[in-house]
Amino acid sequence: MRERPARAIKLNVLNEPKDNYKGGPSSLCPGCGHDQISNVIISAAWENGIPPERVAKMSGIGCSSKTPAYYLGQSHGFNTVHGRMPSVTTGAYAINKDLLYLGVSGDGDSASIGIGQLIHAIRRNMDMVYIVENNGVYGLTKGQYSATADVGSKKKKGKANETQPIDLCALAINLGCTFVARSFSGSKKQLNALLKAAMSHKGFALIDVISPCVTFNNNDESMRSYTYVKDNEVTLHMTDYIPHFEPMAEVEVPEGNFTDITLHDGSTIRLETISENHDPSDSMAALTALHEAEDEKKHVTGLLYFDATKPSLAEDLGIVDIPLLDVSDDVLRPPKEMLDSINAEFLSM
Amino acid sequence: MDTIANDFTINIATANGTGSQSANLILLQSLFDMGVPVSGKNLFPSNISGLPTWYIVRLSDRGYQAPGDRTHIQILVNKATWEEDLAALEPGSVVVWNMDSKMPVERDDIVSYPVPMTKLARSLNPKLSKLVTNIVYVGVLAELLGITDEALNKAVAGQFKGKTSAIELNINALELGRNYAKENFTKNDPYVVEPRPIEKKRFFMEGNEAAALGCIFGGVQLLAWYPITPSSSLAEGIIAYIPRLRTNDEGEATCAVIQAEDELAAAGMVLGAGWAGGRGMTATSGPGISLMQEFIGLAYFAEIPSVFWDVNRVGPSTGLPTRTQQSDLAMLYEGSHGDTQHIVVIPGTVEECFEFGWRAFDYSERYQTPVFGLSDLDLGMNRWACEGFEYPDEPMDRGKTIREQDVFEAMENFGRYRDLDGDGIPYRTLPGSGMAPILYRGTGHNPDGVYSEKPHDYFDLMKRLKEKIDGSRDNLPAPILNENEEGEIGVIYYGSMENSIQEIDDLLEETGLKVSQCRVRALPLHSEVEAFIRRHKTTIVLEINRDAQLWGILRRELPNDIVGQVYSVAYSDGMPPRARIYSDLILKTIREVSQ
Repeated sequence: MRERPARAIKLNVLNEPKDNYKGGPSSLCPGCGHDQISNVIISAAWENGIPPERVAKMSGIGCSSKTPAYYLGQSHGFNTVHGRMPSVTTGAYAINKDLLYLGVSGDGDSASIGIGQLIHAIRRNMDMVYIVENNGVYGLTKGQYSATADVGSKKKKGKANETQPIDLCALAINLGCTFVARSFSGSKKQLNALLKAAMSHKGFALIDVISPCVTFNNNDESMRSYTYVKDNEVTLHMTDYIPHFEPMAEVEVPEGNFTDITLHDGSTIRLETISENHDPSDSMAALTALHEAEDEKKHVTGLLYFDATKPSLAEDLGIVDIPLLDVSDDVLRPPKEMLDSINAEFLSM
Repeated sequence: MDTIANDFTINIATANGTGSQSANLILLQSLFDMGVPVSGKNLFPSNISGLPTWYIVRLSDRGYQAPGDRTHIQILVNKATWEEDLAALEPGSVVVWNMDSKMPVERDDIVSYPVPMTKLARSLNPKLSKLVTNIVYVGVLAELLGITDEALNKAVAGQFKGKTSAIELNINALELGRNYAKENFTKNDPYVVEPRPIEKKRFFMEGNEAAALGCIFGGVQLLAWYPITPSSSLAEGIIAYIPRLRTNDEGEATCAVIQAEDELAAAGMVLGAGWAGGRGMTATSGPGISLMQEFIGLAYFAEIPSVFWDVNRVGPSTGLPTRTQQSDLAMLYEGSHGDTQHIVVIPGTVEECFEFGWRAFDYSERYQTPVFGLSDLDLGMNRWACEGFEYPDEPMDRGKTIREQDVFEAMENFGRYRDLDGDGIPYRTLPGSGMAPILYRGTGHNPDGVYSEKPHDYFDLMKRLKEKIDGSRDNLPAPILNENEEGEIGVIYYGSMENSIQEIDDLLEETGLKVSQCRVRALPLHSEVEAFIRRHKTTIVLEINRDAQLWGILRRELPNDIVGQVYSVAYSDGMPPRARIYSDLILKTIREVSQ
């Protein structure tokens, strides 16, 4: 049961203290980028006033996939099998489409063993948030390169990587993913806004978060170290999120150019132009930005692509409005008269 | 000449994709409607068009449904297998053959009926002559055997429901074949069809469609599947029944269907559905189950209801994808790595396909564990006589799932994996409920569902899981016993062997041997199975595979004092079980035992 909040503690719109969104202590390496992402998840869910019991935390296998134990302790979760979190989420969604499915995966989980399931979840426009905690290495098995490691990047031990990486954002854009963003675990404000926007989106929202591995891939020759990413991050916009329950009038309007995008739940993501204007409805521009960054050995972050027009999986399934979970047994089992008439039809054939 | 009525086998050799299936089904249905006990086996290739296909129709007043030992009447249309089919015939057999194929029939020890099938077909409809050729031979057979126009016309109408032009074409083709035979042949063979009174009205049904209907009445909420022979028609059966049986007035369904990207994803979706509190299932065959192994272990260990139908085909690997076998039993019972044990229900009739279709969900939710339905290609894809389906005699069993807050609050010492009732089955709450949330996992966990590597937590958990599944055995479908008082010998069998057992029994009895029978219908084994073995001096386990999989399970699980009295007869060549092969093997085994 949730604790009754003391008066002095800051509460969100549901009158919940932030503590009610926390999880157990992390067992990851101190300084791990993943723990910073967990903290952003806690903040974003709390600030957005999401009832914790309405969240389903989903993950696969790997360092990243252990993190659901470290946030939203009042939400049910499922730490599934390696690379297969999308299918389990899809099945759960078919039964209870009213939950907010928050998936956390890693680059091993998503770009190698699970790439097929990721692709097909995107293809179905499965209604979920899918965070990739992307560090370019396998952590739990002690530092092998993953399929997202940049060419020329060298981890702490062994040779530099020479194999072409899979850019999950480019892949997702090509697949018609309806929300594609990249961020950095060190850019808390941006990640917070993107994550809230993803939670407000109906459809598949991919956030590929560069999350340095402090143990195996944080050395000077690595293109995924804290220092390298900080020095080489190209930010598309200044990103703000205005929740639907906060009147727009009270939000400070930026001085420069900006674009407001209305999300499915009525919230707004505000993209302020930094230097060039990136239009997130332009998939070609998004791909160009990714390719240019790769050529220049940079990391481009921000909302790359957004499309609110595609139907999500729920609409494709053709099921009743209420979650199937809430359909009563006597509706699920057709009445005896139906079977009698089927028997009679067969017998008269 | 003495006649032989309703006791012979017709073998029809055609090429796949030529439309012979609908002609063969018309033949089968018309015999059925005349009250003749008849069975049909479709031996089809893994191919869309061109490869050889055989359809075996067995007429048997004794009700034998196995393909029989030999062919009495051969229909020769396919040039590719012509010589082979012809050479295999015993002297005195009948051949109805297509003269237009320009293939020789050079045997003087058989009864030959040459028919210009292609020419006749072309005279009726040049464009559709390939299709019509098939129906022409049915017309010839009708005349030779004495199948009535009434029965044929009814079968045609049933096959082409309301399609007037197709019905007309087929009726004309039947008449063409019949007239040709009337004008050109003097009957020179003993085989005839005699109508029999229909005591109890029955209909033809494939096991897959029956299982599909059962799943619909079991309240399936998610079907996640990936197409694979011979299970696709089970999934497609569910899809076909949803609009009528599971859709409201607004056209919205209460069962979701997702065609997954592969079997791994299908299994993952089934688990997701079970985890969320719904009834999820998939239908697949052995290769699909191989791919699902990892998820099966997760469902067992994390205790998630999930239903898997395996319509067994011939393995290993791609094997013989369009042939039948009982070779997935051991894989299902012990699916996934580590120590596991699963509930398997094994229908032997179409009525049981329906019944176990709905019961599987109840078992799965009751025991919070994966449940497998094991059918096979023979039962699933061939047509069997069916008396109709019985409505479930008990309400849906949703198991120990806590759905109300006050019920939860009244509980003491709740833990997701704590055995509060002493039956090994814990209680569970659902995502979205806010009650006792945990992070489900495939890693070791304590009774509260928290990660644990402690030796006693792991040991206790595995012990409880074993007790839980063990506890199901006498609540699962009990074996069907048919005991012979004088019998010292018992025969244990399962699944589609049901359709050959009567003939096997009669063949044994011809040699003076009387045996009792026990048809196993579920794993883990019902206590009645052990009792049956104890009542007989020798028990033989009969199965359609090479490795004697049920026998292996029995040898491991039976008490030591009776292990030695259980013997195996296991044989499989891809064909549906032919009775004499098994009766001969049983006799051989008994001779060896008694030596």
